[in-house]
Amino acid sequence: MRQPRIVSTTAINLIELGHFSAHLALVVALVQGLAPLLGRGVREPRLAALSINAAVLVFILTSIGAVTLVHAFLTSNFSVQYVAQHSNTILPAIYKFAALWGGHEGSLYLWVWILTLYTLVVAWYGRTRYPAHVPVILAVQGWIMVGFFGLILFLSNPFARLFPIPSDGNDLNPLLQDPAMAIHPPMLYLGYVGFSVPFAFAMTALLTKWKSELWVGLIRRWVLIAWGFLTTGILLGGWWAYYELGWGGYWAWDPVENASFMPWLLGTALVHSITVQDRRQMLHTWNIFLTISTFALSLLGTFLVRSGVLSSVHAFAVDPGRGAYILIFMTTVLAVSFGIFLAKGRYQEAKEEITSFLSRESLFVWNNVVFALACVCVLLGTLYPLALDALYGAKITVAAPYFNTVMVPIFLVVVLLMGIGPLVPWRKANVERLGQRLLLPVLAGVIAAIAMAIFMRPLHWTGPTALGLVIFALGSLIVDYSRAVRVRRTQMRESFWRALLKTVSMNRRHYGGMIVHFGILVVALGLIGSGLFRAESTVTMARGDIVEVGGERLRFDDLQELRRDNYAALQAKLTLIDSGRAIYPEKRRYPRQQEFMTESGIDSTPLRDVYIVLAEPAEGNRWAVHVYVNPLVQFIWIGGAVILSGLLVTLSNRRRALKASLSSEI
Amino acid sequence: MRISSKFVVALFLSIFSITTFGAQVQEDPLERQVLEIAKELRCAVCQNQSVAESNADLARDMRAIIREQLQAGKSKPEIEQYFVNRYGNYILMKPPAEGPGAMLWVMPALFAVMLAFTAFFYLKQRRRGSLPTAPTLSAKDRALVDRARADNQ
Repeated sequence: MRQPRIVSTTAINLIELGHFSAHLALVVALVQGLAPLLGRGVREPRLAALSINAAVLVFILTSIGAVTLVHAFLTSNFSVQYVAQHSNTILPAIYKFAALWGGHEGSLYLWVWILTLYTLVVAWYGRTRYPAHVPVILAVQGWIMVGFFGLILFLSNPFARLFPIPSDGNDLNPLLQDPAMAIHPPMLYLGYVGFSVPFAFAMTALLTKWKSELWVGLIRRWVLIAWGFLTTGILLGGWWAYYELGWGGYWAWDPVENASFMPWLLGTALVHSITVQDRRQMLHTWNIFLTISTFALSLLGTFLVRSGVLSSVHAFAVDPGRGAYILIFMTTVLAVSFGIFLAKGRYQEAKEEITSFLSRESLFVWNNVVFALACVCVLLGTLYPLALDALYGAKITVAAPYFNTVMVPIFLVVVLLMGIGPLVPWRKANVERLGQRLLLPVLAGVIAAIAMAIFMRPLHWTGPTALGLVIFALGSLIVDYSRAVRVRRTQMRESFWRALLKTVSMNRRHYGGMIVHFGILVVALGLIGSGLFRAESTVTMARGDIVEVGGERLRFDDLQELRRDNYAALQAKLTLIDSGRAIYPEKRRYPRQQEFMTESGIDSTPLRDVYIVLAEPAEGNRWAVHVYVNPLVQFIWIGGAVILSGLLVTLSNRRRALKASLSSEI
Repeated sequence: MRISSKFVVALFLSIFSITTFGAQVQEDPLERQVLEIAKELRCAVCQNQSVAESNADLARDMRAIIREQLQAGKSKPEIEQYFVNRYGNYILMKPPAEGPGAMLWVMPALFAVMLAFTAFFYLKQRRRGSLPTAPTLSAKDRALVDRARADNQ
């Protein structure tokens, strides 16, 4: 029995305070966008510097809005429409908090709050280090804020009130009631919005003809940080899909996933091409183009997921408010940024030339070609069916089989380049020496590919090819690393272990990157194993029945009912006969939801997952059960952790880099 | 009478439990075939799910139809064609390379060629600029070179 809630008046005042703060934030963001432009017009730097104060104020005001929304969720203030739609009284506190970004309005608010946070950090760092440029950078970010605040406050307002006040709220989508899903959106947005910083720098560079040697080094860290958050977000999304969605997979090439994958692909290209510019003063124009495109794709990703265009093109197109606003906002951002790029992009000529086709810089160019191609293909497969539907009403399905056919060959080239690139020096490679270094990795790769083709009988040609390439790339990583260790041991007379550590710690930028590569290869092994060697079976089982799938024997032991705070469940117990470990798949029923949710049961070892889904009851007290044996899935998550640790190693380089730049100036 | 009937029930139950306990169940071989075909078909009412993965009523019905048709001895292409006739190419998870779907297969190849050419010519152009231009020889130098060559022969 639930009593009707009495909402205290202080709660009401708080949410209106937040609403008011958000409106004020819009005004201050406008000041932040306008002041530097006016300041330049009247040549008054103090007016331009006002944008720094504005950035701080916008952050504070937006935070007040966020805090009042969180407060409304935690106190179950259902007079706020957004809270009533996405939360209820029995929801655990952690999910009441996470429900803030469980819907359209709140996630856009989170987006803009993260933008104000990044802007604050940029303002803080920039005000002494590059004081002349910081106002322009803040102005660019200010205009993006204005665009988002306009959408939030006038068309999808999380502060909107509801009358009469409902006695209890709706429910947060049960699929989202999961720890990984609770932190997935913030990670993704930290990535998306992170790319707004390099974007703002690039626009500033175009507008002020900022010499690229001076700013590219500054955005490298921002790009890496954004890339790291985006990678984390994507991995968490895959992890969540795997544990929660119950189809045994982790990546479905769903438009929502593609939306986050496109900026990741271009961001990866950017990480590499920035290095070229940093080291060899080339590719200025291309880097600016990449930076703008990456942020444009981040915006596109946000809107694809958040505008509802994916569920129905027509609903989006006829919605006079949101749809039109989003289209106009996107078009404006694209037109203005690419317009300025076309007008001023070639403000600086490259200083150095390419010496040889076989050089590190040339291979980086090919890396960019491959990642740009991958991104364009995902873009085509995601937008083409939407455009076809919107323009001609023709329906077409572009799903996982299409993307796998198109993307897998591209990824194989990526792995090939990953094997060669790090062994090729800058400027010009000595072909003979390169051949010697590549000999062992190539042999290892070929042997691995042949062995797989003979012994494992994969169903598809990609299996041996992919394994061969991954082993080749692993081999060349080892060759590169061991050569550096050997040099240290002979020159510095260090012990083996010390040399092993010092090689990495004295060149964190390079070897951090190599650790990231290693992580990617571990992920690749996981993808090969789980993608090509999965065993599955769908059987109906009664108590005591035994099934054998992919060499694992399972006994169906028990079925019992459970009650939890926010759901009721039917839980089965299956036992792995060989190890005696039990697996507990569930069917859950959340209040206010019509359908049962499946909660898969998983037994993980590093080499394989046994993944069980309780499907549906069958006649005679039996249950239909899906059993999957997924080899090497754990490699994907382990590889992800390796990637992030490598990234941290690279980022920890900072102090040395600063000292080096200082000493070179002296 | 009563006791014996209870006994019979108990006996029956124990036999039943003995026969079911530890029974090895196997997947219905037809089910695997059904799912193989269902994976190639889109659940028309779902977002980006195949008929094999979806729990929607429509997907369930479609699986039943696939099963019936397999039992009637139809082949995989015939069954797929059956659904294409009813729903159009939209029902196929992998768009066929015809009609509007052709673009999807042509464009990636085109993009690949375009990007590769652009990169190649960029590198070539930048490299040519880096080669030192051949020095022009004065008449005196040329005479010296010619004489040296003549001496060598």
